[in-house]
Amino acid sequence: MTLNPNLQPLQLFAMDVDPFAKDEIFISGLPDYLKQFDRQRGQLIPILQKVQQELTYLPAEALQAVADYLEIPVAEVYGVATFYNQFRFNPPGKHQIKVCLGTACHVKGGDIILENFERKLGIKEGETTEDREFSIERVACVGCCALAPVVLVGEDVQGHMAPSKVEGLFVRIQVEKEMAQRKKKRHETGE
Amino acid sequence: MKPENKDQIYQQFEAIRRQAEERRDAARRDPSPTILIGTATCGIASGALDTKLAFEQAILEQGLDARVRTVGCIGHCYAEPVVIIDYPQSGFPPIFYHEVTAGKARMLVKHFLEGGDPLFEHVYGAMVENDMIPSVMEFSRFNQEKRVVMEKCGHIDPEDIYDYIAHGGYAALAKALTLDPETIIDEIKTCGLRGRGGAGFPTGRKWELAADSPEGDKIIVCNADEGDPGAYMDRTILESNPHQVLEGMAICALAVGAHKAIVYVRSEYPLAVKIVSGAIAQAKTLGLLGSGILNSAFNLEIEVFQGSGAFVCGEETGLIQSIEGFRGMPRSRPPYPAQEGLYGQPTVINNVKTLASVPPIIANGAAWYRTIGTENSPGTAVFSVVGDVVHAGLVEIPMGVTLRTLIFDICGGIANQKKFKAVQIGGPSGGCLPETFLDTPIDFDSLTTAGAMMGSGGMVVMDEDSCMVDVARYFLDFTQKESCGKCTFCRIGTRHLLDILQRITTGEGRTGDLEQLEQLSEDIKDGSLCGLGKTAPNPVLTSLKYFRDEYEAHINEKRCPGMMCRPLMTYYIDLDKCARGCDACVGCCPTEAVFTTSTRKKGIDQDLCVKCGECMVACPPQYDAVRKVSPPGLAPVIERPVKNPDASKKASDNS
Amino acid sequence: MMVTIEVNGRQLTVKQNLSVLQACLENDIYIPNLCFMEDMPHPPASCRLCFVEVAGMQRPVTSCTVKVAPAMVVKTDTPAVRRLQRSGLRFLLSVHHVDCQNCPANKNCELQRLARFLKIGLKPKHLENHLQDIAIVENHAYLTYYPNRCVLCAKCIHACRMSHGHSLISFVGRGFNTSLSFAGICDFEQTACNTCRSCADICPVGALVLKTACER
Repeated sequence: MTLNPNLQPLQLFAMDVDPFAKDEIFISGLPDYLKQFDRQRGQLIPILQKVQQELTYLPAEALQAVADYLEIPVAEVYGVATFYNQFRFNPPGKHQIKVCLGTACHVKGGDIILENFERKLGIKEGETTEDREFSIERVACVGCCALAPVVLVGEDVQGHMAPSKVEGLFVRIQVEKEMAQRKKKRHETGE
Repeated sequence: MKPENKDQIYQQFEAIRRQAEERRDAARRDPSPTILIGTATCGIASGALDTKLAFEQAILEQGLDARVRTVGCIGHCYAEPVVIIDYPQSGFPPIFYHEVTAGKARMLVKHFLEGGDPLFEHVYGAMVENDMIPSVMEFSRFNQEKRVVMEKCGHIDPEDIYDYIAHGGYAALAKALTLDPETIIDEIKTCGLRGRGGAGFPTGRKWELAADSPEGDKIIVCNADEGDPGAYMDRTILESNPHQVLEGMAICALAVGAHKAIVYVRSEYPLAVKIVSGAIAQAKTLGLLGSGILNSAFNLEIEVFQGSGAFVCGEETGLIQSIEGFRGMPRSRPPYPAQEGLYGQPTVINNVKTLASVPPIIANGAAWYRTIGTENSPGTAVFSVVGDVVHAGLVEIPMGVTLRTLIFDICGGIANQKKFKAVQIGGPSGGCLPETFLDTPIDFDSLTTAGAMMGSGGMVVMDEDSCMVDVARYFLDFTQKESCGKCTFCRIGTRHLLDILQRITTGEGRTGDLEQLEQLSEDIKDGSLCGLGKTAPNPVLTSLKYFRDEYEAHINEKRCPGMMCRPLMTYYIDLDKCARGCDACVGCCPTEAVFTTSTRKKGIDQDLCVKCGECMVACPPQYDAVRKVSPPGLAPVIERPVKNPDASKKASDNS
Repeated sequence: MMVTIEVNGRQLTVKQNLSVLQACLENDIYIPNLCFMEDMPHPPASCRLCFVEVAGMQRPVTSCTVKVAPAMVVKTDTPAVRRLQRSGLRFLLSVHHVDCQNCPANKNCELQRLARFLKIGLKPKHLENHLQDIAIVENHAYLTYYPNRCVLCAKCIHACRMSHGHSLISFVGRGFNTSLSFAGICDFEQTACNTCRSCADICPVGALVLKTACER
């Protein structure tokens, strides 16, 4: 299919080969999956939310399937999806880092925290590291203002962040990863 | 309505209430201690789940008989994780503990639940008056609040409908079912309730408008698309006491004749979505929602719709567009949604706090509600007070309390012995008020006159170290990003405002910028289509009005008085204070900008420094050698020693 | 039912359901406008140019959203109205790639007309020019889209919907980065685009331009 070249993320993904076969299977099964929803325009946003929940992002093929199901032009689906902050068009990292830049976090130096993450990972907000381990996003407010500045790593809220805690966070993620690997290894050799 | 039907409604409700009370009494008869843990989002973020786990494990290990229950948020976010232990057999009243970490939890189990010693050094206060432990009501953070909307938050389990009913819940709905719709609307009109979403439109009038609209599938929408960055009251209420909001929605639906309702929650609030969905299911099971509510002829289905993250969808018409599955771009009003809203049907859109105010009003009467607050703004206001205050969190106060009382008495004043500079009220639509306005009473009209706005209730307190120009830039950056892009003034105008503010905060301000800011702001205010654009310039206009000298310092002297704008300030190390051999600042610098001088003291390489301020935090207080200055030119130049110390050391070793 | 209103001192008798803008345009009283279209059920009111003053209303209102009412008194050229119209147009021009020599809409451009009418220059002095960082869209077989000429009036979307029942063009992005997209058109020969020219015809500024045979 032809894509609009003025939208970088989608095009970028279209050139990518999907590394997860699981996603491909889900996308190919989408027409059936969508049958659980009413065929109504009002279902568009709930559908997109559900699909993104499954795939962590909205690839072009999924948008096409949703448009076909609801019998509306893809352009419309695209227009709606690009309007809302929630939807993304390229896959996020395994560890999603969301830096809160709500008012309280801003006043307490949230942008400095964001810069520290960007420097540490060598990517900008909205980007994903090449190994797809990490991605950084800024969010408007996660509603934990009394703990400002706040960072979300996955679903974990880290309150009272400081630039010096950034390093510690990565060390922790690394340690957890290694522990999991060791556990897995032990499990495998044990059997 | 026929009298026999009235009786039926009461009978049905009484049956449910008796059930709830029996459950409560059974729990009360059980002498084993109860531990209540606040597990709303902010509690969880502070580690409440770890605390809960620690309690459960310790209780199990010690083989005790105690119940751990989760409740919502009590609003005291500065004290999270918050725990209340009710242990009647110990002879102590229920006790409030703050900052209960997992370790503290284990200690409490060991000493209090097992040993009977409540660990006075960790007690915050008792929940009721007694002669052993000072009550929390002796603290102004507790006793100056007046809780109507948040009365039950933090005291009941949000996932147990019986808990709410045992605390008097759903009685107002039962009462409303026996009243005429006109009577309900009259009650809401006489009580003077005004919309808590920001604009303060009289709720009764809105309901009346919808009720008077010709028949159709009228719809009630609870607006919980809390987009104001720095406000989280709506989320907390939904997470802590969802049924009060649902009950308010049901009463509203009854009054205007709607049979369908939608709770519009941000998808960024997954816990709120989960709790509200669960609450709807529970209420349906008990016949408090669904068809034939409490044996009456009234039906109501409530659904949850998750907003996808667009601030503009807090605007009524934008919200409608997004529920219909379109881009959330507002349209011009009239027609108002109350006449022609969702799918063309009359739609009442009320904020969470507005709807949560309804059940107490119906239960206690309009006259009671009018005793709280002021003449033109009756009732209470819920604020999330955050920023540089000691006791940050959610505060519910009667309208008319002054900003000074709220910030200095209730919230404990400014943290770290700093001076108060400004308070930002109303988020991106509001404004910054300086010290001279601290005696302004908090109500819709006084705040608007002062140039701020009630808004949804976000309040950010700022100390002397904050920069008002930067705050204005921050909000414009937000509104510019969140502008829907539909109308010319908001789409392009905010971009120009932001551009100028960005220039000023990076030291490239020019003469004439301030006049242009004012001119553009007035144009955007008058020309924009929806509330977002119309109020977007407010942060600029108020800060220009009250803090013009700061703008001038940025432009004329390239100086940031609050030392927040990083291009206009710099850090340096005072060599007279720096301690020889201390390395505290070296280790914390993320860019290795700190170097050792020839006298073994420290200096900062300005080319590498990213001005994060970590060295200032790390410098031991007895030295206090790291300084901030603005403009950067004032910092003394400390050259990095040319010779590589390692190399020279090696050389000397070799010789 | 007809109603009589007064515009700039002139009495107009017009149909009841008209907007003030329609009533004026029908009676040869020009009010600047960009996004208004006769057959739209709800005017988008997005260009914010058609301001007028209506007696009894505090500040200028957009005439496309106000219906005529008996004895309404309207003024179309007060200083307050002109101030808003001029700043609105300046805003539009400040994000417009002003390069009239190379634009096919030259001399037939709504922005030029408006600037002449409101007596302002095409390059606003005090506003910096902010162009979107976005490439010209050439992936459509028959059309080229120039984002930095577009005024986002949405007329093309409406025209496309009128011709085909649904629109093949849509807004994408949000806020300052809003633009048009033809996303998802797979086969241009199967869509009506090869015969239909309605979007390009209605574009007031030359943002949607038909490709010449050799460009295709």
